[in-house]
Amino acid sequence: MELAEFRLALDSWLDENESRLTDDRRAAATLDEQMAHLATVKRLTYEAGFMRWGWPPRVGGLGGSTLLRAYLGEALTARDMVEPGIYSMTEVLAPTMIDYATPELAATMVPRLLRGDETWCQGFSEPGTGSNLASLSCRATRTAGGWRVTGQKVWTSLAQFADRCVLLTRTGTPDSAHKGITALFVDMESPGITVRPIETMHGAAEFSEVFFDDVDVPFDRTLGKEGQGWAVAMDLLPYERSTALWHRAAFLHRRLERLLLAAPPGALDPAAVGEVAQLLYALRARSRNTQRRLAGGEHLGPETSIDKVLVATAEQAVFDLVADGLSTDILMEDDPTSERWRREFLYSRAATIYGGTGEIQRNIIARRLLDLGPDR
Amino acid sequence: MDPADRVLFERSLEHAVANDSGRPLDSALVELGWHDALTLDPQTAVATLFRLQGSAHASSSSLDHVLLHRLVWPGSPVTGVVLPPLGQLIPPGELAGGELVVRGLGGAALADHEDALVVARTGGAVIAAVVPTADLALRRIHGMDAELGLVEVTGRLGHGSAARQELPPSAWSSSVALCQLAVGHELVGASRKMLELARQHAVERTQFDQIIGKFQAVRHRLAETLVAVEAADALLGAAWEDGSPTTAAVAKALAGRAARTAARHCQQVLAGIGFTTEHEFHHYVRRVLVLDALFGASRALTKELGVELLTTQRLPALVPL
Repeated sequence: MELAEFRLALDSWLDENESRLTDDRRAAATLDEQMAHLATVKRLTYEAGFMRWGWPPRVGGLGGSTLLRAYLGEALTARDMVEPGIYSMTEVLAPTMIDYATPELAATMVPRLLRGDETWCQGFSEPGTGSNLASLSCRATRTAGGWRVTGQKVWTSLAQFADRCVLLTRTGTPDSAHKGITALFVDMESPGITVRPIETMHGAAEFSEVFFDDVDVPFDRTLGKEGQGWAVAMDLLPYERSTALWHRAAFLHRRLERLLLAAPPGALDPAAVGEVAQLLYALRARSRNTQRRLAGGEHLGPETSIDKVLVATAEQAVFDLVADGLSTDILMEDDPTSERWRREFLYSRAATIYGGTGEIQRNIIARRLLDLGPDR
Repeated sequence: MDPADRVLFERSLEHAVANDSGRPLDSALVELGWHDALTLDPQTAVATLFRLQGSAHASSSSLDHVLLHRLVWPGSPVTGVVLPPLGQLIPPGELAGGELVVRGLGGAALADHEDALVVARTGGAVIAAVVPTADLALRRIHGMDAELGLVEVTGRLGHGSAARQELPPSAWSSSVALCQLAVGHELVGASRKMLELARQHAVERTQFDQIIGKFQAVRHRLAETLVAVEAADALLGAAWEDGSPTTAAVAKALAGRAARTAARHCQQVLAGIGFTTEHEFHHYVRRVLVLDALFGASRALTKELGVELLTTQRLPALVPL
């Protein structure tokens, strides 16, 4: 299946099925409602085959280029059928399973994620471990039958909805840094797991704290080998900065266009609009090159930090413009459309924080791309 | 051009640009077949030469050839060419009441040519006229970047002194787009060079018993520069791919903005030495300011895009997957 053919087939299928794929509540939908709608969209696109393209047959896919996945997410986002943040979790977690889970486990689990039967989360950050991921302390110790996990995670997106968790644990000595980390695939129903959602500034409990008290995890749920968790994490992050980021760019494109329609005459400074649009086009050009490299089988690495800086900068620029152009709506109005603009504006404040802060990205660029040596 | 040819071509251009500038570089480019390459594979010819030119702080009359490239001019004799005035995209000539008024720029080589091609507006149409260079007033510009060798071109030519031909409606905008890409690549080449100079300084200069490249404030300035340059470069590539004047203008504007970002951060990292003429940095600062103003300044292009978007209330889907 070539991209052009896929695009044509998908576009016409989306046209025909628009009403089934569109959430009537859209602007007013709560996170619970968005998650329920996302499951519907994933099931429908999986059944129609589109969701399976770009994934290998051994996990229920139909093969073909990863560009097909990038276009599917773009098309669904551009038509406002899904929220890109919750949709793109698949792009981050499924490749990790394909690369590091046992073949049997990947073959069983990945189709459930693609079809929308399950939600997965990513247990990386901890209260004492933000930017310095290698210092994590959530402990996994060996027992007769597997691992026993004790510790705490935080900022775990969608944990309260999740059926499984890709979890980073400390299996080496406390000071073993990135060498003593092991990744596990944990059932969220396991005894000993407590999830406490955290209400964020944009008014949705998208993140949670997750507590692990003597949680048993079988050995065959180890992703990669013991001590290989850092590699799992490092290989996962470029996915977050490639396909998922392309979807985010499509979202920003749609919202900026929406702003052009919604802003009262004279409310937007043409020079500012031009600057933001240029930034978005540059983001697309950069991200498209990255999609093509991924599709060509290249290993993505630290250069994706440039993509991440661009998307975070573009997201805040778009919503700064929204705050100028729709200031009355954002500050005063309580209708669903204004509420949505406000929520998205507030969420954009986190764009330079989540998934590696702007500072961490610039540190990576300085050390790995500009070869400035270690900073400490 | 196949990849092996491209490598050879790039290597010979690199050699030429490193050793010559101005008229000697023009001759070297003829010898190594750059003009044939411009016809056969415009993207490789333009992107490679102008990037290298920007990086080496060299100049040539290649931009003239890029402008001529898409102007249909049967049997087109090799003439000099008048570029638009600084900061503008309009043709340099205006033909009204039998008089051709010329206001534009020329490269250093313009005076060498007997004739100059002037694109001019007349009513709703655009024409190309060939006029004797001797009938134009040429003023050598020293200004911000004397080494670029630009001349200011003015003139009022009466009836009969010019051979004229009407151009197809899209010829001018398509030529401008190609020139914008050329200047965009030159800006990116110069920006990368500024970054290289600042990076080198950051790993050599020691203060407080460590290289200044250890300080996060310095590292982040350089990282910021790389992000801006890579973004502009990616967009230039996308503009070649879709061939639309809109994308070329956006890419040119972004390259100009990136160059200003690079100049600001790299100047600060280079600090005292970068402020002296003992260091080569100042050449690049001067060059990118003038390049930014050629074929539309970033500020004006950006505002123009904004006005267009606010008027149409549509955000064109440029750069499709």
